[in-house]
Amino acid sequence: MVVLRAGLCPGLTEEMLQLLRASGIRTVVDFVSSDLEDVAQKCSLSYKALVAVRRVLLAQFSAFPINGADLYEELKSSTAILPTGSSSLDKLLDSGLYTGEVTELMGAPGSGKTQVCLGIAASVSLSLKQHVLFLDSTGGFTASRLCQMLRAWTEDEEEQAALQRIQVVRVFDIYEMLSALQELRDRLSQQVMCSMGPLKIVVIDSVSAVVSPLLGGKQSEGLAIMMQLARELKTLAREYSLAVVVTNQVTRDSSTAPLRPALGRSWSFVPSTRVLVESKEATWDKATTKRVASLAKSPRQPTGIQVELDIG
Amino acid sequence: KLLARLEGRSSLKDLEPYLFAEEGSPVHGHVIEFHGPEGTGKTEMLYHLVARCILPKSGGGLETEVMFIDTDYHFDMLRLVTILESRLVQRTEEMIKQCLGRLFLVNCNSSTQLLLTLYSLENMFCTHPSLCLLILDSISSFYWIDRSNGGESLNLQEMNLKKCANFLEKLVREHHLTLFATTQTLMQRSTNSAENPFPFKPQHETDIDYRPYLCKSWQQMVTHRIFFSKQCNSGSSTAFTVVSCHLKRNHVVKLSFSVAECGVQF
Repeated sequence: MVVLRAGLCPGLTEEMLQLLRASGIRTVVDFVSSDLEDVAQKCSLSYKALVAVRRVLLAQFSAFPINGADLYEELKSSTAILPTGSSSLDKLLDSGLYTGEVTELMGAPGSGKTQVCLGIAASVSLSLKQHVLFLDSTGGFTASRLCQMLRAWTEDEEEQAALQRIQVVRVFDIYEMLSALQELRDRLSQQVMCSMGPLKIVVIDSVSAVVSPLLGGKQSEGLAIMMQLARELKTLAREYSLAVVVTNQVTRDSSTAPLRPALGRSWSFVPSTRVLVESKEATWDKATTKRVASLAKSPRQPTGIQVELDIG
Repeated sequence: KLLARLEGRSSLKDLEPYLFAEEGSPVHGHVIEFHGPEGTGKTEMLYHLVARCILPKSGGGLETEVMFIDTDYHFDMLRLVTILESRLVQRTEEMIKQCLGRLFLVNCNSSTQLLLTLYSLENMFCTHPSLCLLILDSISSFYWIDRSNGGESLNLQEMNLKKCANFLEKLVREHHLTLFATTQTLMQRSTNSAENPFPFKPQHETDIDYRPYLCKSWQQMVTHRIFFSKQCNSGSSTAFTVVSCHLKRNHVVKLSFSVAECGVQF
């Protein structure tokens, strides 16, 4: 609710404001939705001036429609597909992580989600030479494991450079996460290139760790903050052409029901792609456990495809 | 302005005969709500309808314009282009661009911005007589944020949405539009039947997981409500079901569809 004040737009003077307030018009919405002829008569203001102010306010506060053809052109040049570091996972995701979308990895504790995230960070930093922002809310990020992965793929100097391109921020509650994202947004909008080069991906491990404490109980504030986080992630992905990867826990309704993502119905609408990561005991060889990823939701592929993950 | 209205809008008849329980739907002035949990094909169905509208007559379309309001950054342009390419005989860039030129997209960040955007779009409807389909995906995305901002008063919580619904009704009526809006199943159906103000009991009631939670002004303006659900088969394909209800006349139709590379198939 934006309150009208002098100088909000040219033509909105203090005297005009006084007259408008006297007839009960206080916010932008009040102004735009009132009948201007009526207001002109009641407040003895010029109809033309009011129409001009209305036009400027609408231009300032409403969203602009964009033509489909123009949007397609823009997307063709800005969308990129990022490799995840695991060729089988890439195949599952129809060649990789698409920018402009939120992808969710769900799985039980210990199923390998953090490993997949580290693999993604390493792969994007090394092969694409792009910067990575890793928000760690579980304390599961270990630089040594990341080093191990990089060392398996390349030699020393490149490994150092790759490590430098990965920025890790430790956040332990939702407010820290929101402020880290806000900081990212500020940096991207000012295009400050000094410490952060071209950023293409944000990995958040995990989102359920910061959101679960908010849910439950009868208050809806928790859900509102969760939806605000969701909105922030989607806006970042779309407006700055980033790929956003989040990890989530799983729950099930009863012991025989299929696994579903945690955080409830409202969150389930947020990611456009969802992958279930499980770790299964190979029956013929008890020593190894294999990791299996299955596609639970995708805008491009039929669901249900399963692949074996090869995480080094 | 007046002339544009008198000239009449292009007709949306036969837009998708499978979806509607009666002949000749949708007509202008209809408000159709798509309701269902996530992953049940609502957005796919919208792409199907958009494709039907923007494709040229030679490609099996209606050659009309569409205004798509996206409130949660859900719209996937690449997917729409894949669907268009699979339906066009000549898949040239020119043809795709021509089709896409008939589509207008807006992104809204809050219910206040949605309301203000609707006001500023009014002008577009006057200047584009072939713009007769308005899609809103989805009208329920601000539900929790509005509820939290409104504090204790239900009135304040619902106020923005109520104003949007009222203004949408005015737009639909004055400019002879058809409105499709999606709502998400955010809550479980209440087991207390007294609380459920559903006016009629369709035979498939046990399949429908519907609990109305949006404001009364919206619920009263909806003329058709279509419920989406999904059954997971043990095989590879997932079947989606649609139950289409015409609210005033108690007509119910149940159909299944599947989603392929080229879009929705009945």
